Formats: sequence, C-alpha cells, structure tokens
Amino acid sequence: MLQRDKSISAKHERELVVATDRGDQAACRELVERFLPAIGGLARSFDFGGPVGRSELLQEGVAGLLFAAKRYDPATGTPFWAYASFWVRKSMQELVADVARPVALSDHAARGLAQVKAARRSHLQTQGAEPTRSELAEATGYSLGQVDSLLASDRVPRSFEDPVAAGEAAATFGETVADPRAEGEYEQVLDRMETQAVRSLADQLGARERAVLESHYGLGRSPRTLKEIGSDFGISAERVRQIEKEALDKLRLAAAEPPLPRTRPLESKRETLTTHRSQ
Amino acid sequence: MSCPSLLRHNALVYESDEEYVDGSVAFLREGLEAGEACAVGQTRDGISRMREALGDDADRVAFFDVSSVYTRPAHAVAQYYGTFLTLLREAPSVRAVAEGQFGFTAADVREWTTYESITNVAYSHLPVWVVCTYDARRVPDALIDAMWETHSHVHADEWRTSEHFEDPRDLVSRLTPAPEPLPGLRSLPVVRDVDSFRESLARELGRENLTADVAMNVLVACTEIAANAFRHGGGIEEVRVGQVDARFVCEVVDRGSGFDDPLAGYLAPREGVGAGLWVARQLSWRLDAFQSPAGFSVRIWF
Repeated sequence: MLQRDKSISAKHERELVVATDRGDQAACRELVERFLPAIGGLARSFDFGGPVGRSELLQEGVAGLLFAAKRYDPATGTPFWAYASFWVRKSMQELVADVARPVALSDHAARGLAQVKAARRSHLQTQGAEPTRSELAEATGYSLGQVDSLLASDRVPRSFEDPVAAGEAAATFGETVADPRAEGEYEQVLDRMETQAVRSLADQLGARERAVLESHYGLGRSPRTLKEIGSDFGISAERVRQIEKEALDKLRLAAAEPPLPRTRPLESKRETLTTHRSQ
Repeated sequence: MSCPSLLRHNALVYESDEEYVDGSVAFLREGLEAGEACAVGQTRDGISRMREALGDDADRVAFFDVSSVYTRPAHAVAQYYGTFLTLLREAPSVRAVAEGQFGFTAADVREWTTYESITNVAYSHLPVWVVCTYDARRVPDALIDAMWETHSHVHADEWRTSEHFEDPRDLVSRLTPAPEPLPGLRSLPVVRDVDSFRESLARELGRENLTADVAMNVLVACTEIAANAFRHGGGIEEVRVGQVDARFVCEVVDRGSGFDDPLAGYLAPREGVGAGLWVARQLSWRLDAFQSPAGFSVRIWF
C-alpha cells in the first residue's frame, strides 16, 4: 500500500518524474523521498533474516524507481507508482537472487580452493598456527586478491539472526546494520547513482564555446547579441559566430556518436556482501 | 536495393536458469572457439550466473549490465550499436546473448516489440549473431507471442524458423500509435532560416524550467528537424511548442511530402544514412513523424 504524502498532486508527480529523467538532482531527491515509504513497504515483503539487509534492498528499490522514471509515460494512464513498483520489486528480487544463489565454483576455482585449504592444513601442522593471507599466497602462488576470493567463496554466509557476541542478550548481526534513513545515507546513495539520463553534450565544449552558446541563446542567463558577447571576450562578432558554429557542430557530432559500452567486468554484489559480512 | 543482412537475430525462450545458462554457454563457447568476440548483456545476477558457468572462459567474454539500457528504444539501439562496434574492433564477428528488460504494460509490450523489430535493420550491416533471451517465467505472454514476429529463428525446446516473422517496417508502422492532436501548443512566428529558428526557439526555452544542459540538447535536436524541413521539406510552415504531461514539446510542420520510413532516426549515421533524425532521437524522449492537415509534422518530446 502506498504510504506517501497524499498531498502530492498528479501534476506535481509528473513534473518530478520528468525532471528526474532529465537529470535534475533536486527533483530526484524529492521523488525518492516521496516514495521511500512505499519502497520500504515493498522491502518488508522480503525476509530480512535472509542474506540481504534492509539497507541494500532499499538501495535497489531506489535504483528501480529511477529506472521507472526514465521509462514512465503518463499518456498510458497507468499511475506512476503502479508502474514503478514493478521495477522496484524487480530490482530487489534480482539482488536477492544474486546474493542468495549458492556459489557454484568453476573446476579451476574449485582446484584453487583445494590448494589453499591444503596449504592451510600444512601450515597448521608444521607451524601450529593459522597462516596469514600472505603466507597462503606465497604457498599457493596465488595473489592476495585471489586467495581472498577463494576463501570468501568457502565461507558460510552469516545469518542476520546470528549474535554478534556470546550470550542471549547480545544483539543480532542484523540489528547492527545501519538504517540508511536514520543516517542520511540516502544522500550518498543518490550521489553515487547515475541519475543523469540525458546525455550531457555540453561536456564536449570548452569554457568559451559554452559561454558563447549560453549567452547568445539565453540559457540560464539573459540572451545577448553576438556583438555584445564579442566585446566581452575582446573578439569580433564574426569570430563569435564562428565559435558558435564550431560549438554546435561539436555538439552534433557528439550526439551522433553511439555511447561507449560499459563492458568492464562487474563485481558481483554477492561477492561484495559475502566479504563484508565475513569481516 | 538493400544488401543481404549480415546480422543473425534469434531468440531463446527458457523456463529455468539451467536452460538459460546451458544454451547461452554453448552458444558463446562455439563463438570463442571460432575466434569471435563474445558478449553477455544481463542483469547483475544473470552476469554472476554466466561468469560462474563460463569458468576460465569468462575472461574472454565482455559482460555488460542491461539494468539501465532499456530506457527508450532509440537509446537501447544506440547502446548495443556502440557495444557491437567496440567488439568488432577486436574480432571479425560478434556473438552476443542479450536479456531484455521489457516491462509489463500493454504500452511496454508494444514499444519493446517495436524495438526488437527495429534491431533487425539497425545492425543488419554488422557481422553479429545476437540471441535475445526470454525468461518465460517472467516475461508477459504477449511479448513471447510477439517474439515470433521479430526474430527469424527461435529456440523453444529446439531451433525453429519463425513462420510469423514480419517485415520490420511493416511491424513498426502497424504498432506505432497515431499521434494525438495537441491543441494546447502555441505557435511561434514563422522563420526563414535555421539560425532564426534556433533564436526563436531559445526565447521559448527561457520560459521553461530547463537546465542549460537540457536546453542545449533541445536546441541541437530541434535544429536538426528544422534543417531537414528547410533542406527537404520546402521550408517551415509552422512551429508549435508547449508543455504536455510535464514534457517540453516542439512540433515542426514543413511544406514537403515528408518521409514514410518508420525506422527513420533509428539507424546509426554512416555512408548513405544521414545523422539528423538519429541525433534528434538520441537527444529526446520521443519523436513522432506524421502527416497532419497542416502538413508533414515532426513532433519531438523532451
């Protein structure tokens, strides 16, 4: 059930969604704040005793909301939350699926893990103490990072109901997870997230080119003639016109170029979470 | 006369994670053995599954997160186009498996079926074999049905030639809704050249609540439409602007007969393909081209 502030009008909601799609950070924050209770409501349908915490679920929910804002078309007649909740839930489900899925090591990784375990046993027998990461790396020939990854894959995920200390009164691990709203973590979440849906062509321009376009066309300031702009820069109106043409050509070229793919290897959230919980 | 397509655009329907992984891994390994560049487009958990299943071969496969790719069809076309061009710098041909993010409303089904159909033409000049993967447990039935209209071959238990494959231009024309009249737009004074058009439009943008960056995108995109009107349409008959559903809309009506290619602007610029409508689509939220009583109209939304 949607628990957001009911005073928001449909018109203002549309304005927020569109402004968010255009990369307006203030609108983005307001949209998220408006729908955070509803996102939290969806998050509650997931079991916090499972492998994913509320904080991570809310972050994924926010990502789903912002994705929905990019696609939402009010002309379809579907209310925004009815549309967005599908993407919010889907984002959360994907996180849970990624984190909860049992680790299936490749043959190569399984052999590597066996080598690390053998090195640990050997060290324990000969030295009578746990080996350090460096000693395991030296004994197996793996890098420190590889040793960490292999050991992390072998850890039993820690339950959120596990006590953080001995004794019945001890807090559970889940209770130590920070509440992002309480700590203002959402400011950081939004800062990290890519909310700029519109391609910012202006990044292609030099400072003078940008100033010429903004001044001539009154973008964010009062419009001025080429002659007025020229006198500011100490150049002729004709030179200003040339700079403007070059700037427009540059913008057009940038827009014609297909965006570069994001094909860098992605770190699995599951690995990140597993490592975090095992510390 | 069109050239024979270098693209193979197929679909794989699966009902379990194992079915997805087995089919995709076999397809990609065959490509790796043949020296092809290979890619996986998936959500994060799908990428994790595929990395594990590929084992050491994962290092030779490019993975990209599709969670922010499927925003608008024109943007998704450009994302994949850029990906394929990048991979083709390293190998003579590409194999890819791609999982769509298509949504659930009737409008989503229509829009993303259109997108799937467009890809048959958008990459037809590239030596790419892409298998679109459909999770039958989650994708709406209507999209599964439409998949047979947009992919020449479909793997559902076994590879089959689709008897329902439809010519992309016919399909896109059929599924593109006729634009509604927008009586609330206001007319701008008639202009005689592109520079005057840009200045006139800029004055209107000053009234809108747009950042300088977005306003610059509007100017560049609309300039392309105006330039087309002067170059091919005998000049501008009317320019109308305003806000609809919180979006800024600019409509340019020209005096020519216009074009009737529903794929205009979806094909990346190259020899024989102009950049104007591509640029306009990339910088906008939506672009409609249609005949109206006033003349040939291009309506662009931001």
